[in-house]
Amino acid sequence: MSVAFKSAVDDSVVDELRAIIPDEGRVLPNLSSRVNRTRVPAPFPVHRWAEFMPDVAVLPTSAEEVSEVVKLANRLQIPVVPRAGGTGLSDGAVPLRGGILVDVKLMNEIHEIDLVDRTVTVGPGINMLKLNEELKRHGVFYPDDPASYPCSLVGGRIGTGGWSLIGSRFGHTRDNVISMQVVLPTGEIVEIAEGGGRKLRKSSTGLTLKHLFTGHQGTLGITTEATLDLVPRPEVEFAAFFAFDDYMKAYETTGVLAKSGLATLAGVVLFDEWKIAYLRRDDEAYIPQPASVKAVVAVAMYGSRVEVEPASKRVMQLGRSLGGKYLGDEISAGDWASRHDRYATPLHGRDKDGQAVMMSWHCEDAALNYSVLPQVREEWHAIVARYRERYGIFDDWGMFAYTNGAFKPWADYLVEIDVGIWESRLDDENWAGWVACKREISEVTLKYGGSITACHGATREGDAELVPAEMGSSWEVVKRIKRALDPNNIMNPGKQSLDEAYASGNGSAP
Amino acid sequence: MAEHEEKFGLDHGGAPPGGYDPNGDGRLQASFVEQWRTNAYGCFSSGHKFCREVCPVMQVTRNENHTPTAFHANIVAMDKGLVDVADVADDYVHCTQCGACELRCPNTLFTGDFYRHRTRTVDVVKAMRALMVATGNEREHWKLWNERLAERHNEPVLGDVPVSQEHVADWAEGLDIPVGGETILFVDCEAAFYRTSYARAFAQLLQKAGVEFGLMREQWCCGGPAAEMGYVDLARRHADHNVADWRAVGAKRIIAPDPHDYIAFTEDYPRYYGDDYEFEIVLGVELVNDLVTDGRIQLTQAVDRVVTYHDPCRLNKRKGVHAAPRELLRAVPGLTFKDVDHVTQWSYCSGGGGGLPVEKPEITEEISRRRVARAQELEVDTLVSACPWSERPLSAAGAAAAEPLDVVDLFELVARSAGIEVGGHTHAAQEARS
Repeated sequence: MSVAFKSAVDDSVVDELRAIIPDEGRVLPNLSSRVNRTRVPAPFPVHRWAEFMPDVAVLPTSAEEVSEVVKLANRLQIPVVPRAGGTGLSDGAVPLRGGILVDVKLMNEIHEIDLVDRTVTVGPGINMLKLNEELKRHGVFYPDDPASYPCSLVGGRIGTGGWSLIGSRFGHTRDNVISMQVVLPTGEIVEIAEGGGRKLRKSSTGLTLKHLFTGHQGTLGITTEATLDLVPRPEVEFAAFFAFDDYMKAYETTGVLAKSGLATLAGVVLFDEWKIAYLRRDDEAYIPQPASVKAVVAVAMYGSRVEVEPASKRVMQLGRSLGGKYLGDEISAGDWASRHDRYATPLHGRDKDGQAVMMSWHCEDAALNYSVLPQVREEWHAIVARYRERYGIFDDWGMFAYTNGAFKPWADYLVEIDVGIWESRLDDENWAGWVACKREISEVTLKYGGSITACHGATREGDAELVPAEMGSSWEVVKRIKRALDPNNIMNPGKQSLDEAYASGNGSAP
Repeated sequence: MAEHEEKFGLDHGGAPPGGYDPNGDGRLQASFVEQWRTNAYGCFSSGHKFCREVCPVMQVTRNENHTPTAFHANIVAMDKGLVDVADVADDYVHCTQCGACELRCPNTLFTGDFYRHRTRTVDVVKAMRALMVATGNEREHWKLWNERLAERHNEPVLGDVPVSQEHVADWAEGLDIPVGGETILFVDCEAAFYRTSYARAFAQLLQKAGVEFGLMREQWCCGGPAAEMGYVDLARRHADHNVADWRAVGAKRIIAPDPHDYIAFTEDYPRYYGDDYEFEIVLGVELVNDLVTDGRIQLTQAVDRVVTYHDPCRLNKRKGVHAAPRELLRAVPGLTFKDVDHVTQWSYCSGGGGGLPVEKPEITEEISRRRVARAQELEVDTLVSACPWSERPLSAAGAAAAEPLDVVDLFELVARSAGIEVGGHTHAAQEARS
């Protein structure tokens, strides 16, 4: 079978790639390699699969190879899409205009473990769980802990500006990346940090470029090496789950816990009634609670014994202070331990008549302040209910709000509504319905002063067109930066409305 | 567009003009998709990819095409008319059928039982390989291997080891094992021709405990490897022969010391014969452990070694057997046993299964090299395994290491502790002689 190339990739480009990467197995223009580097776990218009295929995939093993590939692409104005784990919940790694897909999974070496200055330097293709297996013997760990901890890769975490389940205690990806090596859209290899030092966590010398290169969704370059923070392995992990018969009591308790000032607090999570109902759909995913349980609040703490043990007593007191009922050690420890696996399974999908159907999982995430959580919750559920009724392929899997501020958990939250989507029923009409649903959700976020994504990225249809509105007066700055670094708009083009940075507005060079 | 495509000569893996199916009607592929569509969507919809970093092949190649996610997504892509079997055939070579991905799948872990849904990557890979064979998309080395199997009826064990029916029981020389009886010992081809010390150790342990057993009149390969490579008819012919041979001597139970045979007899054969399959299948390592626990085998000789244990995938990941081998090791006097728990070992493998060493020996070699390196981190002098298929690549990796590591089979070790002079060889006969 054949699927045509979308960009200017042709035999001569493939030959040039093979000259840069002289290994047959690492330059892959065959159909299967393209098909399998198209989607990510986010809902995908499976009926339009071929539109999102790269034209060729390459698997570099060095920054020099990445650099030469990008220089080639820049010279010929061929799109380049970086891909690490391909586990993102937005479209960062999905090619929108074909081109060369740079898959960094083979760059998974640990280059250096520095136990004196507490850093580890790695390639972007390494997975955090695998990295921590190696670090364990040294008594340290790298605390980036997303739901995709067993499979996502450091490079993707940096590109996405990832969020960690224990970020309130240890920070999120950008807080734990000290410096990195980046291949710019024009092919230069540059060292990016706070200032100049590769292992320094704070500097005032110049522009803090590190943040610019964290969370750009692959639109500004490709990370080829990263120096990460090493944190002492916590002695103690403590988790407590509290049940409530009323959402507002749970909401207030969440606020009380988040504002407690306990330094070992790693996260506070508020699950709403819809999420509890979803988890009740079988008796294994969650130990069923009586129907009176309308919300659950979960707290986790990490640290040394002398800190966590007394603090845990305070947490138990605060968790119960507004009527919360402790769910016991088994649920608390067990549910927290399975935090990566548990909260979205396709088998729990239900159609409008309540019949079980396999659905894929979309998490619409936003960053919102504490004060607006109850109102946003109501409006989001109402939107999903409307689309569910109209299209019959969506299912509301509930919401949670999770402390979002690194080290300062008190006032802002990652808020998610999980929506099941009957992917095999997708057609143009249903897909358009889904995009419209997403857009409405994001519009509510903006109405309440939020940001349309706290961690997944605003690269998808339904989000991307709202990026200029959210960025407001800074959008001009964003466009100037993009244009300056990527004059030919080759780096992951079509994402985040960044085509607006170019005169023609459609991705061609100015 | 088609012109463009033709011009740039996309690699379609040798698909015949007009599609994958020599008959031109796509019936086989369509029926394959029909059979596996639900499983494929189960994975595609989940998309967690937690399977990836435990996959021994993916750990080496880092190629997304070699992931369980791809193995399922390809079927969805087939369903959508995007790819044919020829386009994806090479992906499915990259699997040892170890089963780690199934264990790590959130669908299986949390909701599978409730919905009666199971991630079945191993079966998906086997079925795709069968489709590859049926549609003329065979792999060169597997084809040759199976041609030799059809000719000689025993596995043409890797390399140049001479294999034939006249020599299938040579390993038992001097042990006076009768032919036939109610209990049959089935000796894997790898053990019968290559690591004969494995078979000799096991047989002598049974003899020491007074277990009565016999050999087959004519033992053919179990057929499992052929089935793993997609040669289903050939596999079935071998199963038919073996079952007929068992019945001819009135066998009631079959002892399978080799985990690969155990899989064939407890999964493939029941699928072939349904209710018409009356044999009790006994797993060797559990039997020997019971005999030691019951005091029928006394472990009296100290074995002065520092060992760790390699969980063979087909015991640990495929069958959940991890306790018996550890109990056996702990029963050996003098031994220092540095254990790595069986869940951590979900991501370990020798690379010796699923036909991988036949088609991609360089990947097998690298998987084994890494496994041996992990063992060496524990500062042991011996890596103990319990599967002859793993022991060949692991032994090679152990010998090639900067500081060589001895690889010993569990039965060999236990036999030594029971005071048995095992005999036989751990390598091919000609290698042993040289």
